[in-house]
Amino acid sequence: MLLETDYRPGPAAALRESLYRIRAMAGNNTLIRLRDPGQTISYVVMPMVLMLVLEPLYVRAVDGGTTKVVTGLLVMFSVFAISIAGNAILAERTWKTWDRLRVSRAPAAELLIGKTLPIYVVMIAQQTILLVYGCLVIGLPIPGNVPLVLGAILLWAFTLLAIGALLAAIVRSHGELSVITDVGALTLSSLGGALVPLSLMPEWAQVAAQASPGYWALEMLQAAVAGDTAGVLRPAAILLGIALVCGVFAIRRLTRGWGRGGLL
Amino acid sequence: MLQAIDLVKRYGSVLALDGFSLSVAAGEIVGLVGHNGAGKTTFVEIVSYLIRQDGGHVTIDGRPPSASRGRVGVAPQHIALYPSVTVREHLNLFGRLAGLRRAALDSAVEELTVALRLGSFIDRRTAGLSGGQQRRVQAATALINRPGLLLLDEPTAGADLETREAMLDVVKQRAGDGAAIVYTTHYLPELVELQATIAVARNGKIIARGTYDELVDGLPGEVRLIHDNEEEVRVSTTQPAATLIDLLGRAERPISTIEVHNPSLDDLYRSLAVSDAP
Ligand SMILES: Nc1ncnc2c1ncn2[C@@H]1O[C@H](COP(=O)(O)OP(=O)(O)OP(=O)(O)O)[C@@H](O)[C@H]1O
Ligand SMILES: [Mg+2]
Repeated sequence: MLLETDYRPGPAAALRESLYRIRAMAGNNTLIRLRDPGQTISYVVMPMVLMLVLEPLYVRAVDGGTTKVVTGLLVMFSVFAISIAGNAILAERTWKTWDRLRVSRAPAAELLIGKTLPIYVVMIAQQTILLVYGCLVIGLPIPGNVPLVLGAILLWAFTLLAIGALLAAIVRSHGELSVITDVGALTLSSLGGALVPLSLMPEWAQVAAQASPGYWALEMLQAAVAGDTAGVLRPAAILLGIALVCGVFAIRRLTRGWGRGGLL
Repeated sequence: MLQAIDLVKRYGSVLALDGFSLSVAAGEIVGLVGHNGAGKTTFVEIVSYLIRQDGGHVTIDGRPPSASRGRVGVAPQHIALYPSVTVREHLNLFGRLAGLRRAALDSAVEELTVALRLGSFIDRRTAGLSGGQQRRVQAATALINRPGLLLLDEPTAGADLETREAMLDVVKQRAGDGAAIVYTTHYLPELVELQATIAVARNGKIIARGTYDELVDGLPGEVRLIHDNEEEVRVSTTQPAATLIDLLGRAERPISTIEVHNPSLDDLYRSLAVSDAP
């Protein structure tokens, strides 16, 4: 007896089946995440330590120092978390498992959602934990508009995920990925004002900062924390644009798979 | 069930497939053999829609590979498993991706656990398994939803006797249930045991296709004797038994080693190379 299912489910049943497969994918990737949590833990703990150490410095140096140190380090280490997304996707290539999934019944969109959903949750959790820690321990005033902050986090995490997926689709090895994410994250986020407040940086750096997603993330998060809805809109739109461009490119590339060659 | 006509696939200057045609009927096992680089894996990749051909076409049950997602079970040549995920979790993942639910999933997992002898390591992560155990797990993930077409790319590479036996039994059983099976291998005896149709690939095309009797029977095998003084006698023969008796009768010194080789895949390739020459 062979299962040659030729029947076509109705839209409701098709959706149920689709969700069932996405859940299977997401479940598997959650397992993989949970069994190798090291990177995630260090990207949560390191900024906590740094916030504690740097806070007095910031407070003395700039107005609103507490907000700046919390959002700055949050942005910096959330950028580092790109490598979590990148490595998770690239691992499918190293293990050659992506092609196994591509021959399954699940279409590419389901595979990508199932693959990235757990990573998305990890990124949101990282940023939320850091913000809550900022409020409870560092003394960040509790934001008046919590949904706005949450929305900002959701969008920023989505942008990071898209950038990570794009990198995973184009690099040739985990080594290459970590060079790009570590050096790139440090450069982009510090240039964006995450480490040293922009107002203290040279003028050229203040101009160059605008090329960094980290800059816009910082602007968005600081506006969100201050409850400034209008101030959130522009950076949010720019980040969404970046996310969509990276995301579309990554999806196209990942749908085709990597083929045999190329990996170092 | 599977029909491939005149497939062409180029990688730069390499012609991986060059007019590759092969058809497999429901319930048939086709043993796809050929030298390294003959194009076997490339063929499997095209049929499973992992890569696109540059020419020719493929249908699976009348449909192109693009419309056959989930109907083809593929066990790739290279092990492709999640290291930190257990065997049972693998089976559940691939079963669910194929749409199997609770009872159906459980019974499919149970069946393959027995058939491919996974029981003793079913709850272990695959990173810690031996090569042969990983092979069996990989095959199990390809078989979990009873696909109508199976593409098994060297499923017994590096396998010991137990793994090989289990694999051959399952393959025979699936063919008996009506699955069309493409089975690539470098071991001729497996194809004899599977009673497979043998298809020989060379330089990107199929150069011969037939049963063991049609292709291999009648080819010369080899009888080899070593005398106690290390002196060696090798005779190529189509009648190993008679040749052996003859050689033993004429031996002038005690004999330390006797070997009789039935015709091998290499003998088959050689004979085809000869009959193929202009
Ligand atoms: N992605 C690729 N890029 C470049 N060349 C490739 C690629 N894939 C396959 N080839 C070439 O195509 C030819 C056929 O390869 P294929 O893997 O199909 O052979 P095979 O019959 O499976 O060999 P083996 O018995 O070693 O597994 C080889 O010459 C190989 O080098
Ligand atoms: Mg091969």
